[in-house]
Amino acid sequence: MEWMIHARDAGGFENVALKGDCDLYSAPAFAKAMLSHIAEGAGRLRFDLSGVDYLDSTGVGAIIRILQEAKKRGCELRFSGIGGTPRKVLKMSNILALMREDPRP
Amino acid sequence: MKRLIIRKLIVDERNELFDAQGMRYAEFPSDFSRIREFTALVLADCPAVFREGNLLEQQLSEIIKNGIKHGNRSDPAKRLRVWYDLRKRARFIVEDEGLGFVGLDDWNEFFRKRQTALFDEDFDTFLALASYRGPSSDDEDGGNSLIAALEYWNGGMIFNGAKNKVGVVRWFARGSD
Repeated sequence: MEWMIHARDAGGFENVALKGDCDLYSAPAFAKAMLSHIAEGAGRLRFDLSGVDYLDSTGVGAIIRILQEAKKRGCELRFSGIGGTPRKVLKMSNILALMREDPRP
Repeated sequence: MKRLIIRKLIVDERNELFDAQGMRYAEFPSDFSRIREFTALVLADCPAVFREGNLLEQQLSEIIKNGIKHGNRSDPAKRLRVWYDLRKRARFIVEDEGLGFVGLDDWNEFFRKRQTALFDEDFDTFLALASYRGPSSDDEDGGNSLIAALEYWNGGMIFNGAKNKVGVVRWFARGSD
């Protein structure tokens, strides 16, 4: 999985676009990068998951760690483009309810 | 009125889900880097209606990962055994050569607290409990695979007495073609 952090939009959100499988092989590096970014002071992040077709428990775990770190550091999070299997997996894990969703950018 | 229903991981050595008669069989080395490849091999001729996009692949991959990583500790000398039957429903038995899921009772208690917090809409507690952390968990463990599994495997998810073998089944409303 690849991800790209775009410049802040008018609302002050940095958009993080994910593309590929968010799985046991890619999610740990993604979590590490995002946790560092939040620790370094990111204030508002919006994750676009429209390019993610496969999400496993390691990917869900990465999202949980990002939610926990953001809460601890006062970083505001938004999510968009969650569909297909990733949406089902997040719902079965009860995590979807914690994710504030925006309309697709 | 809302009701709180909390599922549990169950141990039942004699459960019918461990009857492997008529099932196909595959055996894999404990190679963490090939977990998704092994999953794809087992599902090579799986009916499309059972796949539900890639949901079946994802859920089976979690069981194979748990066996290789937590059961066999990725020990190359240990094997993972998989029995599978994709007629009428998706049924699997996965056995590793490890010490078994010794934290099963702790996991059930963790899950009870987690789901109670969710039911009570205590989201701060729920977020803190969102992932299970056992004695062998590391930063790369999602800590939530069994939570989704309890919902996904709608025909049951049962561990054997040694807790190193799990039997699962998912039924589908439309059946197979």
